[in-house]
Amino acid sequence: MKFLKSVRVAPKAIGAVALAGVMVLSSAYTAGAQSASNYGPTGPVPATGTKIQGGTAYFQEGPAAPPTYIFPFISPQVCSTMNYGQFTYLMYRPLYWFGNNNSPTVDYNYSVANPPVWSNGDKTVTVTLKNWKWSNGEPVSSRDVEFWMNMEFADSATNWCDYTPGYFPDNVASMSYPNASTVVFHLKAASNPTWFLYNELSQVTPMPIAWDRTSSSGPTPTPSTPNLPDTTKAGVTKVYDYLNTQATNVASYATSPLWSVVDGPWKLQSFTSTGEVTFVPNPDYGGSPKPTLSKFVEVPFTSDEAILNEIKSGGPKALSMAELPDEYLPQLKSVESEGYNAVNFTDYSISYFPLNLGNPTFGPVFSQLYFRQAFQHLVDAPGWLQKIQGGYAVPTYGPVPQEPSSSFVSNFERNNPYPFSISDAAKILKAHGWTDVGPGKVATCEKPGAGANECGAGTTKGLQLKFNLGYQSGSVVTAEQMEDLKSQASQVGIDLELTTAPFAQIIDKAINCGPDGAAKPSSAKCSWTALDWGAGWVYAPDYLPTGEALFYTGAGADFSGYSNAEADKLIKATTNGAASETIPNMKAYENYIAKQVPVVFFPTATGNPTSAAIDLISKHLGGFINNAFTNLTPETWYLTK
Amino acid sequence: MTGYIIRRIGQAIIVILGVTMIAFLLEHLIPGGIARAILGPRATPLSIAVWNKRNGYDSPIWYQYWIFLDHLVHGNLGFSYKLNRSVDSIIANDLPRDVLLVGTSLVLAVIIAVPVGVMQAVKRNRALDYAGTATSFVLYSMPSYALGLILIALFAITIKALPAEAPQGTTIGSMLAHPSGLVLPVATLTLVTFALFSRYMRSSAIESLAQDYIRTARAKGLPERKVLQRHLLRNSLIPVATLVGLSLPAVLTAGLVLEYLFNFQGLGLEYFNAATTDDFPVMLGITVLIGFATVLGNLLADIAYAVLDPRVRY
Repeated sequence: MKFLKSVRVAPKAIGAVALAGVMVLSSAYTAGAQSASNYGPTGPVPATGTKIQGGTAYFQEGPAAPPTYIFPFISPQVCSTMNYGQFTYLMYRPLYWFGNNNSPTVDYNYSVANPPVWSNGDKTVTVTLKNWKWSNGEPVSSRDVEFWMNMEFADSATNWCDYTPGYFPDNVASMSYPNASTVVFHLKAASNPTWFLYNELSQVTPMPIAWDRTSSSGPTPTPSTPNLPDTTKAGVTKVYDYLNTQATNVASYATSPLWSVVDGPWKLQSFTSTGEVTFVPNPDYGGSPKPTLSKFVEVPFTSDEAILNEIKSGGPKALSMAELPDEYLPQLKSVESEGYNAVNFTDYSISYFPLNLGNPTFGPVFSQLYFRQAFQHLVDAPGWLQKIQGGYAVPTYGPVPQEPSSSFVSNFERNNPYPFSISDAAKILKAHGWTDVGPGKVATCEKPGAGANECGAGTTKGLQLKFNLGYQSGSVVTAEQMEDLKSQASQVGIDLELTTAPFAQIIDKAINCGPDGAAKPSSAKCSWTALDWGAGWVYAPDYLPTGEALFYTGAGADFSGYSNAEADKLIKATTNGAASETIPNMKAYENYIAKQVPVVFFPTATGNPTSAAIDLISKHLGGFINNAFTNLTPETWYLTK
Repeated sequence: MTGYIIRRIGQAIIVILGVTMIAFLLEHLIPGGIARAILGPRATPLSIAVWNKRNGYDSPIWYQYWIFLDHLVHGNLGFSYKLNRSVDSIIANDLPRDVLLVGTSLVLAVIIAVPVGVMQAVKRNRALDYAGTATSFVLYSMPSYALGLILIALFAITIKALPAEAPQGTTIGSMLAHPSGLVLPVATLTLVTFALFSRYMRSSAIESLAQDYIRTARAKGLPERKVLQRHLLRNSLIPVATLVGLSLPAVLTAGLVLEYLFNFQGLGLEYFNAATTDDFPVMLGITVLIGFATVLGNLLADIAYAVLDPRVRY
């Protein structure tokens, strides 16, 4: 389970944490682990037998993570991959689809719209819609996009999960709808076309006019109904309130005349209070391929243990697609023998933890590039990946995920700018005014000041490198990583005081001390020095790994309080630079951040859609493709016999 | 008795008020406020302000508590922002299922433990007693989690005779339609609970057997079966009644391990998940319910004393 446009939720962080965590993986099984270089095929996972029409496929939901919200204008408190990619997207398709075939890129074949056309110096975007229909027979038209955009302009700042001040829809000056199949976005400033497509247009979902109402009474509106309420700001807010209220009645999801109007490949047949969701094909689906299955069922689970038990007792008949939580990797062979292909799929995310650059005592030290570089040298990334995570992780040395592979990742980042080296870390500290740099000692600042060989501006003489690192409880992987880091750090005189707290407490601390939080990182309330919630960031549904949400000065998720003019400039270039410069700008930003290490990067656990798990695909399930952004496409699936 | 019950209900209201007050205050101790915790790192000051206003968190805390109490007496326990459902509907959905699962285990445990405990007492220090004691010790010392795992491994995975998960139906009827799914979770909890109850029953029965009224009954020539039924059983049940009464809240929470292990969505797991995701309305609602069940369980135990022992007067 992951929250979207948010911190990536740590393995076992949500749901039954403690009960599962006590059993999680150790280095004992690493000898049998599969190669870390294998992150699954770019096409469908091969199936055995001959394809059959119809049948029911069962998909395992993440532990304690059923879908909870159906209205695609998703509000922040229910903003999660389950609600987007595993639920609403199956029924209500966004303008553009991303991530199929294990690739973090756009997929026009699955999109409602044709590729956008740019003009006016990249200030105007024209989008034409394909000939899709809603299940009530009405065409998917520009009016449906207008309905969405009206709601964006009126309600996004308070009610939309993906809203960031200054970005979509604030960066749109106006809209025009020349005909039923054409939508034109007039932007306030030139934008990079790739960025605007991946991070802004990606979030637009046409909504049927049948939803354009403020109450359940009266006839169902149609595009020809006069004075539809969405055309005024007050009216569309009332429409939002009505639809949001309807969306809180989960018992009515499968029977509501509202939610039964779909343009995606699936319609909802049932939705139980425990989170079991059954879809049937939408016969009016305008895209391709059409579903082969006659039913697609998402099965809820309460815990990792319950998942394992069901896999081992029911096998592929009970779960066509499941995920074996990492703590049970030693049982992988026996699980495969039940009739599964095990694949080490991953999603498009990175793992890191922040140091509080605003901490009154240690902020001046953490703000020094040399210190962050030295600290990154202490992360035994290959050791963690192989010995603690058993090979089921992706190397992470910067802001762009290395897997699923893309043209955005640079060789500089791939090659780990700061490889594990105690001696290099010690050398760096010694060269910057620290004494007692060695095992059994606590490094002490001997030369405070801003000079090249001094501890840094704001540091004080006698300051000792002894600080707290709080990490999420309930995950043995995280605990082992932190114990290892403490051990390595002690070799250079850094005394890490490790403490644990539940995931929610760790993340609450980080969130509330971010630039946009309840307190500034430098405030007295924010006394934390380092916090590790066991994961990092998932790029969805902002699919391009640019840094405006993470490392731009004042960004909402810049928990460490990092601020750097050069980084800001490079981030701006990725969001507003010329189309021809997309890749160079991307790599310039990426290399700079990898060099700057504003956060401490560490290997990212594989697993998709649930992190820290191995995908299990029934040998009799064909057409399964990995979506880099955790979006499901069961319309490609089929059963074999 | 009626006066006693009224007094106890009065005390219960005070206790529940205290519980809600503590839980309510704890909710407000989260750094940065509830809105930030719920809305996540991308929340803007505007969205936080709107969310606070919409959900009543912009009022003084005493007023928020007053509104909470007002809602509570009207049967409205709030709304889960994470699960997108009212707390009432969560409880209404999960409670009957928990009652079926944990309640059945509790009843079965009592039904088995009482005669076993009596039999052990009567046959004290003989082979049957030793066997019963050994069984009880093994079951009591075994965490229900481990016992459940063993039963699943044996009956669901190895023999494949029973399902590994509890029935997935959302109503009692739909759960009862798949009785095989109930066997392993109910057996797990029954065995663990039985071990506890049978030990209490044995001790109590041994103590009763030494009482004068038992000796008198036997001296009067009453058949042994009648001595046990009429004189021993009734008096020995008093401590077990206390235990059963105190177990009532466990119907709400003791199911956590079962729910976790047997893929059964119930209140124990809802409570645990709410605690790990800052879903305060759910935590608060279930806390109130547990407080209520605790008070009710104690009250029922007290009433049971009076029924079992006519000398007890309130």
